[in-house]
Amino acid sequence: MGLRPHRPHLAGVLLALAACRGAGHRQAGPSAIVATDDAGRRVALAAPARRVVSLSPAVTELLFALGAGDRVVGRTHWCDYPPQVSAIPDVGDGLNPNVEAVSARKPDLVVLYRSPMDATAAEQFDRMGVASALVSQDRIEDLARAARLLGALTGRAAAGDSIADALGALLSAPPPFPTSRVAFVVWDNPPMVIGAGSYLDQLATLAGARNVFHDLAAPSATVSLEVIAQRDPDAIVVLSDSGALPSWAHRPEWRTVRAVREGRIISLAGSLFARPSPRAALATAELRRRLEGAR
Amino acid sequence: MLTLADVRYRYPGAARDALHGVSLDARPGELHAILGPNGSGKTTLLRVALGLLRPDAGRARIAGRPAHLWPRRELAKIVGVVPQREETAFPQRVRESVLLGRYPHLSLWRGEGAADRAAVTSALERSDAADLADRWIATLSGGEYQRVRLARALAQEPSVLVLDEPTASLDLRHEMDLFELVRDLVDRENLSAILITHHVNLAARFADRVLLLAAGRPAGAGTPAEVLSRDAAERVFEWPVEIQQFDARPQMVPLRKRKDRP
Amino acid sequence: MKALALGGLAALVLALAVILGPTHVAWADLSTSPVVRDLRVPRALLAFLVGGALAVSGASLQALVRNPLADPFLLGLSGGAGLGAVLAIAGHLSGPWALPLAAFAGALAATALVYRLGLVADAELDPRVLLLAGVAVGAFAGAVMTAIVSLSDAVELRNAFLWLWGGLSGASWLTVLVIAVYLPLPLIVLYASARSLDLLALGEEPARHLGAEVTPVKRRVYLAASALTGAAVAVSGVIGFVGLIVPHLMRFGWGHRHRALLPASFVGGGILLVAADILARVAVAPRELPVGIVTALVGVPLFALLLRRWTT
Repeated sequence: MGLRPHRPHLAGVLLALAACRGAGHRQAGPSAIVATDDAGRRVALAAPARRVVSLSPAVTELLFALGAGDRVVGRTHWCDYPPQVSAIPDVGDGLNPNVEAVSARKPDLVVLYRSPMDATAAEQFDRMGVASALVSQDRIEDLARAARLLGALTGRAAAGDSIADALGALLSAPPPFPTSRVAFVVWDNPPMVIGAGSYLDQLATLAGARNVFHDLAAPSATVSLEVIAQRDPDAIVVLSDSGALPSWAHRPEWRTVRAVREGRIISLAGSLFARPSPRAALATAELRRRLEGAR
Repeated sequence: MLTLADVRYRYPGAARDALHGVSLDARPGELHAILGPNGSGKTTLLRVALGLLRPDAGRARIAGRPAHLWPRRELAKIVGVVPQREETAFPQRVRESVLLGRYPHLSLWRGEGAADRAAVTSALERSDAADLADRWIATLSGGEYQRVRLARALAQEPSVLVLDEPTASLDLRHEMDLFELVRDLVDRENLSAILITHHVNLAARFADRVLLLAAGRPAGAGTPAEVLSRDAAERVFEWPVEIQQFDARPQMVPLRKRKDRP
Repeated sequence: MKALALGGLAALVLALAVILGPTHVAWADLSTSPVVRDLRVPRALLAFLVGGALAVSGASLQALVRNPLADPFLLGLSGGAGLGAVLAIAGHLSGPWALPLAAFAGALAATALVYRLGLVADAELDPRVLLLAGVAVGAFAGAVMTAIVSLSDAVELRNAFLWLWGGLSGASWLTVLVIAVYLPLPLIVLYASARSLDLLALGEEPARHLGAEVTPVKRRVYLAASALTGAAVAVSGVIGFVGLIVPHLMRFGWGHRHRALLPASFVGGGILLVAADILARVAVAPRELPVGIVTALVGVPLFALLLRRWTT
């Protein structure tokens, strides 16, 4: 028999395959979705995502807010809001994710936090044929963008737009005149404070407070204790779920800071304040209330 | 000064005694050589004599007192030891190194005084190392370094001088120099010197008394002439020898096994 | 003469530490400002005491192990302290002194383990065993610490690493008092061993022949040096290079004899750390650098210079 008679046949099959692959990209079916994520990558789904693994607590919260909570099939160990997430399987860390655990959930979409480590993971998911999206989530505007992106990807575009618009309104409303000065203290030795690049700094402005370390561009930075004392914030804000005074408040060197001496230390719950969330308006109101209470 | 009486010692876990039935009497004005092949117990003998090891049987005494009861600092005031090995982790000058020999006489509160510096200078002169005083130790040759170490021991102002294989890596010139030096010190200052060596012939030339060890047991004790007989030497060193006389002292000449070739 | 110059330099550096800082304090206010009185002055004093302690510990350990490259942290102390600190945070131990006490306990546990390893090998305080065991224990503790941090829930644990890099932010008059009361005993023990340390440089058997009671001295020196380093780590994290470099620098002027070297090292170490802390506070104000990084950045070129001097 020989190869010759099969050759044209083989070529034909190869051409057809090539055509199919090329066509897959171009074939715009009625439910095909294409979007661009925060890293500029193209995310394409044949149909709205039905099995989503969220690798970020903010994203998990957002998906539930979009009404797509029933489609979340995997979440990180750190996801804690809303309470229903505890029923969803835990796939481990969000940063530097466990690719095997994630793919065991058979997702059609994986949403990750945008960082160099996760970019590599996203490539891995792509190679496995699973769509992946990288989202930033440092500030409220990042969350608004994410709401639109995830809304489109889950077929809940209207909900996504609505959340994004609400956040946009929060941001575009003129901020109240700052009536108090705060410092967010994350760690005591060495003293670490929150700077302008962070969500908390944004919240402070929206709540009518001024972050005394707004001049530092980084999200967080180590500063000398004497600088905190000299800038003399009216209140110190810490993130703590227990609400108790941090242990360093009793240390003699911290008592050179007036706010510590006078006991004006505000504890904010981690799940509401540590990351941007659709509840940003609620967070803002809560912060404003606590600041007034500390006056 | 230093005496051992019928001493027996076995290292923990060893198969046989390192020393068995060994006696020694080192007197002032005498150069006492301790000879024997490797592993015959020479260094162990030293350790027992200086109280670093306690004998399993027999007695080791220094100036009449049991050796192991001497506090180290007190002992260092009367016995100066030049050990086989020494480390040089940090660079030092000769004068500083010899000054370490004065430490047994110094205390925490008492710094070095004029008397100590004079003792150092005198020690350097007596060991023919005065010209090396300001050199760095690292720049010295083997022979020079050995003289410095001897000076350090002399700076202790000891009554007994103990040298453990002092000429092990020295060339002929420095070997002879060192033996002459020690002999001189014994004669002029009435020191008691104990010299461990495996140079049988030099020991025979310079020593007043010899202790020959073989596998930890004494194979002869007395003057060189008494100890170094052909039978004793052949038994201990396991090689055919002939004993010849030089300077009225026995000298051991090892014979060749193959006599048919020149 | 030399002593006067060193003392003068110490006074100068301490004065600068009080005058200079990330915030501006007017000349007239220097004596009354709470920032100066309650933050800068205790911090400068603490830096001096900690730097001095590390330098004396380094000099003693270099003599003990007869190795000029010995550093107080080679004996596993930094790993032990870090592990102690991490366990305190992970265990949610409360109280403002929980972290320093846990770090201190961890540091001492590490040195006890290193000592014990030497006994197991039938080589009590043998320099080669000490160094190897120290590296092993330090690495092990470090690995356990990293594992706990990466597996744990508390975000605070990640910040524990920042603390470990060394910083004098925890300085207050109380800390200074505690350290000032604690330091004299180990320092005196080491000074009293000064002559024996000189002899130890010749090797253990020669040292014995020259009158040193070698085994008790080694134990005392090991314990006192560990006590000094453990306290330093407890209040200020791991500050490297001071214990390694300062004794070498001081040997240039004061020689190898420890009766002069140890006190000179104390003052030299104090000067170096106060100067490094000034840089740490002022260089990127209002931000602050971990002082352990400044000592490394300054220490490495200095060390390279020293190596050149040595080999020529």
